[in-house]
Amino acid sequence: MLSRIADSLYWLDRYMERTDGVLRILRTEYVLSLDKGNNSMPSWRPVLKTFTQADEGQMATLEFDTAKSLQFIIADAENTNSLRALLTRARENARGAQDHITKEVWEQVNHVYHTVINPVIEEKLKGHEALALLDSMTEMVTLYKGVTGSTMPRSMGWNFMNLGKYIERAMITLEVTNRYFNEINFNLQDTKDILYWRQLLLSLSGYELHLKTYRNTQYTLNVAEQVFFNRQFTRSIRYSLDKIGHYLDDVIDMNNPAEKELLKREFGRLRCKIKYADLDQIKQQSPEKFIADIRLNLLQFNKLLTQVFFSYA
Amino acid sequence: MTGEALLQAYFSTPGNWDEMVQDGGFRPEYRHVAETLRHLQIESLHQKDKLASDLFMNQGITFTVYSDNAGIERIFPFDIIPRIIKAAEWDHIEAGIRQRLKALNLFLKDIYSDQQILKDQVVPSELIASCPQYTREVHGIKVAHDIFVHIAGIDLIRGADGQFYVLEDNLRTPSGVSYMLENREVTKRLFPDLLSANKVRMVSNYPLLLHQNLISLATRQIAQPVVVILTPGIFNSAYYEHTFLARQMGIPLVEGRDLMVDNHKVYMKTTQGLQQVDVIYRRIDDEFLDPLVFRADSALGVPGLMSAYRKGNVVLVNAVGNGVADDKAIYAYVPAMIKYYLNEEAILPNVPTYHMHEKDAFHHVFENISSMVLKRTNQSGGYGMLMGHKAEQEEIEDFRQQVTEDPRNFIAQPIIRLSTVPCFLDGGFKSRHVDLRPFALCGPDGIQIVPGGLTRVALKEGSLVVNSSQGGGSKDTWIVDN
Repeated sequence: MLSRIADSLYWLDRYMERTDGVLRILRTEYVLSLDKGNNSMPSWRPVLKTFTQADEGQMATLEFDTAKSLQFIIADAENTNSLRALLTRARENARGAQDHITKEVWEQVNHVYHTVINPVIEEKLKGHEALALLDSMTEMVTLYKGVTGSTMPRSMGWNFMNLGKYIERAMITLEVTNRYFNEINFNLQDTKDILYWRQLLLSLSGYELHLKTYRNTQYTLNVAEQVFFNRQFTRSIRYSLDKIGHYLDDVIDMNNPAEKELLKREFGRLRCKIKYADLDQIKQQSPEKFIADIRLNLLQFNKLLTQVFFSYA
Repeated sequence: MTGEALLQAYFSTPGNWDEMVQDGGFRPEYRHVAETLRHLQIESLHQKDKLASDLFMNQGITFTVYSDNAGIERIFPFDIIPRIIKAAEWDHIEAGIRQRLKALNLFLKDIYSDQQILKDQVVPSELIASCPQYTREVHGIKVAHDIFVHIAGIDLIRGADGQFYVLEDNLRTPSGVSYMLENREVTKRLFPDLLSANKVRMVSNYPLLLHQNLISLATRQIAQPVVVILTPGIFNSAYYEHTFLARQMGIPLVEGRDLMVDNHKVYMKTTQGLQQVDVIYRRIDDEFLDPLVFRADSALGVPGLMSAYRKGNVVLVNAVGNGVADDKAIYAYVPAMIKYYLNEEAILPNVPTYHMHEKDAFHHVFENISSMVLKRTNQSGGYGMLMGHKAEQEEIEDFRQQVTEDPRNFIAQPIIRLSTVPCFLDGGFKSRHVDLRPFALCGPDGIQIVPGGLTRVALKEGSLVVNSSQGGGSKDTWIVDN
């Protein structure tokens, strides 16, 4: 497979996964912004900070205006990290690799793209249709995943797509978790109630699982356990790394690169940090350091992966 | 209402050769089609029309039109009524194209080596010297099997006398073959019974023939030579065709940045490392191929590609420098080339062509400008043309000025009333002008031409310009046995 094609497929899924992640977060924040309570979101600043490069001035005008914030994050043509920009790049990647994806996958990418560039969404985001729009976009992205899963051949392209998808997923989980722990100064003894953590869990689609799994009231510890170590939780770091490991083995087998031992070691180091860690370790090390560590290792691994397989430019 | 009423209302403009109608009756090759159309309800014609455009849209068979710096994706308009050519006429066309390509290949070999044809003064040297497409950089390069033109699209038109003329040779990167193939696939959905009743000759083996030809050009003696298509990328207007051909042949579609040259060999960068490439079907113009030799600012090409080409380590399809043979001024000398190299008379005649640097021609053309078309020698796609019968006085003066300044850059031809065909437009059968572009493949085993080609239609009433960039559409083209 051409390196460029592998690169395009990897980024296609990364952008689609990021779109999915951002949409989930937007939906949660939007719904919670309607509740007036202790934990209701006072401002869009944290979301803007995580997912855009808005400067201080922009942030100040946007943060208390839900419609404008949504418009900026989703459809703004100037914002280089808007969903519009992400989906445009996803489509360009799909187009460049068109003979390596199925017709169904291409059509679904095209469909989401045409929805996000349609000027009517600005109007929709202002009114009562905002939630319906977020839901329908989430549905389209979910369909993309379904169509990909049910039509793509399990060949090399599929493996690179999944590497992109799970690396992005792990990144999003780390970013969002970091934000919520930052809010409590990374103090695991903090006694924030479930209403606080519910926002994080809903953003990662893990609230129901949490209620079913954890029965005691040490919410902070439970949440940490779930987002880092829970193997049943599809957005936990552990789950994402297991998947990355699986697809990495496949691409190494298929390509047999000269740097395969190096690549395996780099990934092994990262994986150990989750696989053989537990809450006690996080307590000793402080969650801030723990998250930063994992993040750095993930970035290093990603850099090496990119060098080994995609260095064509 | 049925097609009967529409057919009755169809008449072709006097002075035209109509492909379907002759002396108030139908030509024999159209009788099955006319019979079917006669009994179809007009609603069902509309349905077929809609089905056809849906099929094209859903499959993303689009090309990009650039205006106001924003590319817009459009479907290439398709007309549901096929254009039909008799087998006997096709045999004549085929023989003519074969002969022409043989001569053009010999001409290219000659012009980039001994230049015997210039020494014998059959083609004037100054015409070659002043041709911007003459590529000094490839002089003396020996190409595999002496084939320069591997893939050609020869544009033919039928005049009022019913004769086919060659209007233009496309020897660089002729496009449109994917439309020829897709048009047939769509017609299979629209008129399945008609296709079999007419015993229409098959075109669908084109990608297989092309693939075989490309493989046979490889110079390395290995079982599976690596053949790729080189595209300028997703923003190119013909990108759909590039992906289509790559898919149909099952070969990689590469961009310039996927390739690199090392020790005069071309490699593609894969996840498994570098893999040597033997044959490149490039859809990039000469000047962008290699920034070290041609345009230094080209990001589309591959640095060092020409060095690998010169060494014979990679085959480029079509060869570099072919533009000298399809230059519109040199076109006029193709019949002379056929005589010179093959000692034969041209089977397919040229359209009479005036060189504007000749004084007599200049005066003759501007005295009769209302029946002339002026063309720039180095432009295509229907750009840079003046159709004398429709031009305003101001435009004519403007062109006269330009021609005076650079006469070598222009030719003139008498306007030929292209033949017409019925098109289903606005709920009726309307007569529209067409041309024909058959696609020919030259390989080590000879020349193959799939029966048919792309019929392009000028969809504007009375228009004689069929280019897709100028509002043209296309039709499926049938070759039927008598």
